[in-house]
Amino acid sequence: MDNFFDVFNMGLLQNTLRSATPVILAAMGGLMTEHAGIMNIGMEGMILMGAFVAVAFSFTLSSAAMGVLMAVLIGILVGLFFALLVVKLKSDEFIIGMALNTFAAGLTVYLLRSIFGVKGTFSDKGIVSLPTVHLEFLDKIPFLGPLLNDNSIFVYITWILVFAAWVFLYRTPYGFWMRAAGEHPESLKTAGISPIKMKFLASVLCGIFCGFAGAHLSLGYLTMFSEGMSNDRGFIAFACVIFGMANPPKVFLAALLFGFLQALGLRLQSVGVPADLTSIIPYVATILMLVYIVVSGERKRKNRVKREIEG
Amino acid sequence: MKKSISLLVVLALILSLFALVGCGGDMDGEDEALKVCVVVSAGFGDKSFNDSAKEGVDKLAEEKGVNVSTIECNHEGYKQKMMDAAEAADVVVAVGWECYEVEEVAPEYPETKFIWVDNTAEHIGDIPNLLCITYAQNEGSFLAGYVAAKMSKTGVIGAVGGEDSDVINDFIVGYKQGAEYANPNIKVETVYAGDYEDPALGKECALSLKDKGADVIFNIAGNTGNGIFAAAQENSFYAIGVDADQKLTNPEYDDVIICSMKKEVGLSVFDVIAAYIDEDAWEGARVQITDMATGHISIAYGDENSTQQIGDELKSEVEALAAKIVAGEIEVETTR
Repeated sequence: MDNFFDVFNMGLLQNTLRSATPVILAAMGGLMTEHAGIMNIGMEGMILMGAFVAVAFSFTLSSAAMGVLMAVLIGILVGLFFALLVVKLKSDEFIIGMALNTFAAGLTVYLLRSIFGVKGTFSDKGIVSLPTVHLEFLDKIPFLGPLLNDNSIFVYITWILVFAAWVFLYRTPYGFWMRAAGEHPESLKTAGISPIKMKFLASVLCGIFCGFAGAHLSLGYLTMFSEGMSNDRGFIAFACVIFGMANPPKVFLAALLFGFLQALGLRLQSVGVPADLTSIIPYVATILMLVYIVVSGERKRKNRVKREIEG
Repeated sequence: MKKSISLLVVLALILSLFALVGCGGDMDGEDEALKVCVVVSAGFGDKSFNDSAKEGVDKLAEEKGVNVSTIECNHEGYKQKMMDAAEAADVVVAVGWECYEVEEVAPEYPETKFIWVDNTAEHIGDIPNLLCITYAQNEGSFLAGYVAAKMSKTGVIGAVGGEDSDVINDFIVGYKQGAEYANPNIKVETVYAGDYEDPALGKECALSLKDKGADVIFNIAGNTGNGIFAAAQENSFYAIGVDADQKLTNPEYDDVIICSMKKEVGLSVFDVIAAYIDEDAWEGARVQITDMATGHISIAYGDENSTQQIGDELKSEVEALAAKIVAGEIEVETTR
């Protein structure tokens, strides 16, 4: 058995960063639909499709960039389709989300078997992976250097995207309109903006982010497609959106926390914590986080009501 | 009124169910070819355990002309799927330690033969139409551990298990013992992924072991293990495959997989069913342990096209050790 404090090393933090990245990307998409007032649980399926399409095109066109591009295109299409059903045709968003997940799981398996003739995992030398980035100047920084350097390119793109998502939501008119479409669609209508269009926009953005998440998972994190490889990351992303109150930097931190707990779980096994316990840590934490949100939200609401009554 | 109609409909449905069951029974007698249905608890495509079982029955179809069908459970509804299989087939092969419910299904279909691969039923003695096949994975893992310890330069080796279960731990105890047999000072680090279907997680598991200095890592985690190979390739350490000869099933990782601990799942299923067809031999209500002595457990190094990281000298040492295990000179620990 190792010393308990040996668990907290550079590897733990590097693992955190890697594990969190696909979740962050999907969560950035999820917070868009969350703001637009759509309860989107279909991110799991969107990631999976993105992952498959990225590998399929990276392999056939021998280009990682084409893989990402096609994953994003599919994301846009799925986003449009989702919005068509949920926003335009007013179907139940929960059912459509579930259906999307089931559909993606089945479709990717079917295509994997019929196009590539493999079951389970498709890993081939012909799949071109996304590059890793080495920044010279980071070498000179003692702690941050090894942590931040030599990651897959999407790890860095993700940070930029988090900032971009924040700017979009809180500093551009489209962001205001999109949030208004969720919070108060009637007032948006009186301002002459169509809430439906804004919800479509949110859904498409979600598709794009999930396309990125999938492409990163199958071309950056790994270089393979494996059936069901999203493995609940879409749901974790959804939990992070709720926990981070759909605010990009907070959601980013929530996803990092999740990544950290997963990484910590693996390492706690070496100090004698049973594996059954360590593998549930991220999920227990998710539940606790959500309980905290509900409880603190309730308290805030009560305080507000109290203030209103007193004032 | 409404109630009575729905009651009638339900009754009609139940009756038709019985009618269908009756049909199934009649047809079995008329058809000549033996019908074998393979029910796997996970899915095919793991390039090891489950696919090996499939190969075994495919060989039966080819050589013995049996009629083969397959059902993938994807970790859900084992009981129903085994019952479906039993309705349609003469021999049901349940593949995967999770198929515990075979113990409930088998007595309900006394005419059907059941083979449960990779685990032991609690009341096996009372079920004459059930045969359990388990594998002495500890023996093969002993050799894998020996190879890993000999190939390690850091003196630390690792293993990634799918979960903390008896079968997986049976691998691990053998692996540790073999490693210590080769080098008493070796450090063996293990981690359980808690998931058989997440290669990204497998990669993280492998990297967490690499952090501790491990430079040879044993994959005991099914599909999750593909992530171990990916990590090995990116960080230039070695990996050991499992269940099938993974140098052949995963040729893209030929450079990092140095050998595989092979469980001949398919062969063992083939042998049992072939004996049943040829000699009408069926001995149920027991556990058949297939091990190194029966030739169902071995270390595989790919074929002539594979890269050979392991020298001939070490290979012959492994062979000598295998002989010692078969002869009983080395007692390998077990959790079974």
